[in-house]
Amino acid sequence: MIETGIPKLDEYLGGIPPGKSIVFRIEPGVEESDIAIHILHHNLEMGRKGIYVVSESSPKNVERKFSEFNWDRKRYDNLTVVDGYSSLVGAPTQEKYVVEEPHDIRSYEDVILEIIEKNGGGIIVFDSLSNLLDMCGERDALEGIERINKDAGSAGFATIYNFISWPYKEALLYMIKRLFNAIIEVSMVEDVGVRQRMEIKKIDWNENEGKKIDFKIFKPDGVRIYIPKISVIGPFQAGKTTFIKSISKSFTPIERMGATVGVEHATADYKGYRAEIFGIPGQERFLPLLDKLGASSMGVFLVLDSTKPNEFEFAKKMLEKFSGVPCVIVANKQDMPGAMRREEIKARFGMDMEVVETVATERRGVYEAFERMVEKILECLNAG
Amino acid sequence: MLAKTGIERLDELLKGGIPLKSNVLVYSPPFIGKEIILKRFALSGLQEGENVVFILTDKSFKDMKEEMLKLDKKYEEYERDGKIRYIDVYSPSVELQEESEWATFVDSPINRERIASSIIQIIKKEETKYRIIFDSLSTLIVYSDAKAVFRFLQVLSGMCKRSNATSMFSMTRGMHEEIEVQTIKHLMDGVIEMKEEGARFQLRVQGCGEVISRHWIDYLLEGEEIRLTGAFRMGRVA
Repeated sequence: MIETGIPKLDEYLGGIPPGKSIVFRIEPGVEESDIAIHILHHNLEMGRKGIYVVSESSPKNVERKFSEFNWDRKRYDNLTVVDGYSSLVGAPTQEKYVVEEPHDIRSYEDVILEIIEKNGGGIIVFDSLSNLLDMCGERDALEGIERINKDAGSAGFATIYNFISWPYKEALLYMIKRLFNAIIEVSMVEDVGVRQRMEIKKIDWNENEGKKIDFKIFKPDGVRIYIPKISVIGPFQAGKTTFIKSISKSFTPIERMGATVGVEHATADYKGYRAEIFGIPGQERFLPLLDKLGASSMGVFLVLDSTKPNEFEFAKKMLEKFSGVPCVIVANKQDMPGAMRREEIKARFGMDMEVVETVATERRGVYEAFERMVEKILECLNAG
Repeated sequence: MLAKTGIERLDELLKGGIPLKSNVLVYSPPFIGKEIILKRFALSGLQEGENVVFILTDKSFKDMKEEMLKLDKKYEEYERDGKIRYIDVYSPSVELQEESEWATFVDSPINRERIASSIIQIIKKEETKYRIIFDSLSTLIVYSDAKAVFRFLQVLSGMCKRSNATSMFSMTRGMHEEIEVQTIKHLMDGVIEMKEEGARFQLRVQGCGEVISRHWIDYLLEGEEIRLTGAFRMGRVA
């Protein structure tokens, strides 16, 4: 099975069987539609063959794109670039594989066939399908692509197409939907924070049609499942700041004499998930501000000092401000004598609550809490 | 609400200027003043406190800057204040290495997706008024085809109308089939068409909201100026 290297997407796709074709249908204007190149790079790293067919921009651009993520094209002798661009604009090229007649899809077929006959198994990335349609004529291009997909399949390749969804005719979009095995739509989301969304519009090898993930492409880090706002609440001295620090790689502290006096911000980055974490101070006087500070949170951590059940009522009051928002209760200070356990806390807050036991000072349980949170947020996204 | 073109009598003809958030095609043979209309339109925007985005397919951002400086010394200041942005689709293709914090580079006129996303990144700040100067559509069409460019323009004009941008596109007469020209005109809110008639230069306005006259009007080219000399008051035509 071929993977994308993008967390969660791989889970939803369940791997890409050779012979399958995927279209990334990208809304025009989406900033940096570089998902395909990440998938290509991931497969190169895994030692698979990668073929990158460029028709929309110069092959030199491949190097530029690679270097934005600190990858060195020269390191990958398993990468083959097919240059469908240079002949189009009459530019010189240093590529070995050049499409001589870029207005003829057969010219692409010839070059690609030559390469896949020599190589066994991997991935072919086309950048872009829209360009092939524009250049080779829509009907001819699709017929050629159908043949390419078939040949690629018998040689053990999966194919990936970038498709900019310019306002093409409905009939063409319909043909595309029929021809390819999976369609993933990529659009922009701009509410709390700017990010991109992938939605599986079609998949013919499993049941995960309709699944969505929110992500962002960071340079040079790569594709991350991205959550622009998770709030951390909890009573005073429950260990919110320690918890935030323990899951974060960068942190802006706002402390005075060990007590947090303003909203803290940190970025958590774990296993391909990245989230902006906002810590909201726990003193009672901040309670009226919770609505504002917590507004548009996509998730909320309630951090508890598990040894102080007398504070739980106040904690519940805080949590009421976040109704409908995915929540994980962080039962902190589990190393202290008398700490209430998970089941007891569930009994207090509701049996359907997600409770994770932690010792934030030792980073125990904190990643589990973070993972549970991301899962819940994704469930929430996919539910509605 | 109107955007002045910066050419006095043309603004008169247009009853004040081009309607805001519209897109206008400047269509003419080469060398009879199309670029002057574009540059004057840009400059007039800057003088009104608006921002300008140049999309350049045939010259580098640096060349454009030099040309604009010839029109107004204050251009340097506008640029320093961050009022001007360039999307340079020319320099990378001829391997010019010049960089600028105000310039975004797109490696090829075929890469319409990059052009569109670069524009939207700039104009999405809604409070700000933008003027988009697109020079030229002809290059885009030559490198692919009019239908593909048409789809690109559909998306782009949607973006402009959603944000606060008024745009002017240039297209060169003589480079395209008539059907291509019609395809592109179809998407515009207005066209300023220019021609050379014997020894006379003439222009006329199609669309663009209300105008005083839609007839051909004589104009003179004087250095970096365009001067409308033909009469157009009360339906009289020179």
